[in-house]
Amino acid sequence: MTTVYITERRDKHPVLAAVLSLFLPGLGQVLAGKVRRGVLLLLSVITLIGLIMWRINLLAHLEPTAVDKLIKAFSRSPGYIILIFGGLVFIWAWNVRDAWLLNMPDRRGSTILFVVVLMLFFTVGWQISEINLVKMARELSDAWPPLSKILWPWEAAITYDQELVTANAKILVNDDQNPPVPELPVEGVPYIKSTPTYGKMTVRDENNIDIAGDTIAIEGTGFRPNTITELWWKDSGGNQFRPRMNREYVSVVTDADGSFSFDLIIPFRMVPPSAAGQQIHQVEARQTFQVGGPLASDPLKLTIELMIETIFMGMMATFFGILISVPISFLAAKNLMSGSWISKAIYYFVRGIMNIIRSIEPMIWALIAVVWVGLGPFAGILALTIHTIAALGKLYSEAIENIDPGPIEAIQATGATRLQTILFAVVPQMIPPFVSFTIYRWDINVRMSTVIGMVGGGGIGFLLVQYIRLLDYKAAGIAVWFIAITVSILDYVSAEIRQRFV
Amino acid sequence: MSKTEKNSFFKGASMLEFKNLRKVYPDGTVALKRVSFTVEEGEFLIIIGLSGSGKSTLLRCINRLIEPTAGEILWDGSDIIKAQPKELREFRRKIGMIFQHFNLVKRSSVMTNVLSGRLGYVSPGSSLLYRFSDKDKKKALDALEMAGITDQAHKRADELSGGQQQRVGIARALMQDPKLILADEPVASLDPVLAHSILGYLEKLNKQLGITVICSLHYLDLVQRYATRVIGLKDGEIVYRGTAEDIRKMTDDEFKEIYGEEAIRTGAASITGGGEV
Repeated sequence: MTTVYITERRDKHPVLAAVLSLFLPGLGQVLAGKVRRGVLLLLSVITLIGLIMWRINLLAHLEPTAVDKLIKAFSRSPGYIILIFGGLVFIWAWNVRDAWLLNMPDRRGSTILFVVVLMLFFTVGWQISEINLVKMARELSDAWPPLSKILWPWEAAITYDQELVTANAKILVNDDQNPPVPELPVEGVPYIKSTPTYGKMTVRDENNIDIAGDTIAIEGTGFRPNTITELWWKDSGGNQFRPRMNREYVSVVTDADGSFSFDLIIPFRMVPPSAAGQQIHQVEARQTFQVGGPLASDPLKLTIELMIETIFMGMMATFFGILISVPISFLAAKNLMSGSWISKAIYYFVRGIMNIIRSIEPMIWALIAVVWVGLGPFAGILALTIHTIAALGKLYSEAIENIDPGPIEAIQATGATRLQTILFAVVPQMIPPFVSFTIYRWDINVRMSTVIGMVGGGGIGFLLVQYIRLLDYKAAGIAVWFIAITVSILDYVSAEIRQRFV
Repeated sequence: MSKTEKNSFFKGASMLEFKNLRKVYPDGTVALKRVSFTVEEGEFLIIIGLSGSGKSTLLRCINRLIEPTAGEILWDGSDIIKAQPKELREFRRKIGMIFQHFNLVKRSSVMTNVLSGRLGYVSPGSSLLYRFSDKDKKKALDALEMAGITDQAHKRADELSGGQQQRVGIARALMQDPKLILADEPVASLDPVLAHSILGYLEKLNKQLGITVICSLHYLDLVQRYATRVIGLKDGEIVYRGTAEDIRKMTDDEFKEIYGEEAIRTGAASITGGGEV
């Protein structure tokens, strides 16, 4: 606090000051000549009381009167209420003491008062921002499954080709007239046979309890030996599903000859009234197994494709940004635009527009661009370009403002034309900052385009947010890894290039 | 001073004539109040005066880096101030200029800086590609040789020391084949020993090539050593006119009348680490 007023010998009224501060915090301090201290104190107390009232109201918004609200709030979080009211009372009391001391001859108030005010603000802020360290510690284990998948997602990066071997048999359901005749086995071809080829389906009564249908014996031959074989059911409408018995999906393992047998209860299937009449269903045995070497999985391929898209989005946005911001930067350079009032007006207009555009984040521009040109990378490019124009325009124009006027007058003095002066005195001075700012911006644009997809602007962000919403953390992890690798390479390269140019 | 009737072919003929030159800046500062004087061909004219006395403004009015408010500057009878852009460039081409802070393009090579002195002669089209003819390149090497810095030709200008940079500045001015060299405090950023070397070099150009020099300076001993004539400026007015003899007889007290208490000699012999005041 300022000590200017100490030198002023004025009459001191410690008691009056203390009483004044008791009724209105800060008033006694003003009496001592410490106007700023008094005003700051008063504003702090008013703000604190306002914030506390708001939070108490939130804690007990259903209670009708202030007293009820206070009681309810106290019952909900007593520690908090005691703390803030204790703090407030302490500040109030200390403020009275401060006013008293300040009005004593040659005494200065302490800064403890403001430390307590800051602590109280911090306490209220803690509650407003809903910080919950207990929950954070208790549920730490919840973070591990997604985190571990994101940190090491590479099992999801490879895949194998799958070969599917199937054979099926027709079953007549809920009827026993003219059951289908089993097909004859062919040597070396997977084959299944059902005995009998007809039966009643499982039905479900009004209490949702299954009444088991008939059992059919399924025999299979000619399959791959010692392999898990799934049994599937297809209804007459062509819909297929895996039937369950004892809550487990039905599957068998083939023996060394590639044969198996299994007693299957015909499963429940809701049959639409329109499909009434004789119905032929099918039972199908399926074997799947990996063939060939490891292959890049779809998430890996998509990630690489979209990473390339992302890098090019950043590049295109930077390119269009440069094209437009270079001419604009001349209009926004104070040293070039200080001639007439018209040029000054243009300067302020351009600067103003650029500041507004720059203060709106690319993510928000992307939301607008998505409405404008539809989902996809072009929307992202558009959003980044708009932001780049404003950002680069400002940096470029500052580079122009900072050029040394000396070489310009020297070249002018040789009898050079205006164009020659620009080429020989202005351009060489502008190239290093232009290159530096452009590379820097490209770096920023690629980084931004990794997240701009989250609002539909194309690029890898689009993919990342989809994987996160599908809870496919391994695939998301692949995208995160690629983003991290690309951004760090780019960071390094851009720093290198800028260092060489400046 | 009156117009001389002598043939301009000979030394001593009137080359430049200033009539009531006046400069008022947009903020209202009167930099020059009706300045009139004549420059003879082959002179080494030194303008002395405090900072803000109007020296730089006066020099820059000659090649119109600063537009004068009123008055005339006659070069062999034609008025520079009335010159149209094309004529102005022809005037500028004949007037080399060197600066206190050298005003080199720091990131360009020494060679490019020197070659840019030739811009008044080359067509704007060819300079679009930063191209110069072999003749111009040869000329630039000659100019660098005269300045004694041939071996620095392919360095970047900002890698050179202050004295070397000023030599590049002079070489650039020489590329213009100038009739007149304007030197705006050419040694103010250099130490006293380098100051003598640069001014000695300007004197050589003045004596051997017959190039007229108008130079603004701060230090009395340098003025006494190099000037053939001196003009003193104070608050935009000429307060002193003297010949070489006058200035050599000038005492420090008279010098201080123009300069105030800031007057100083470099004392190149006695001061070791000296520099600008």
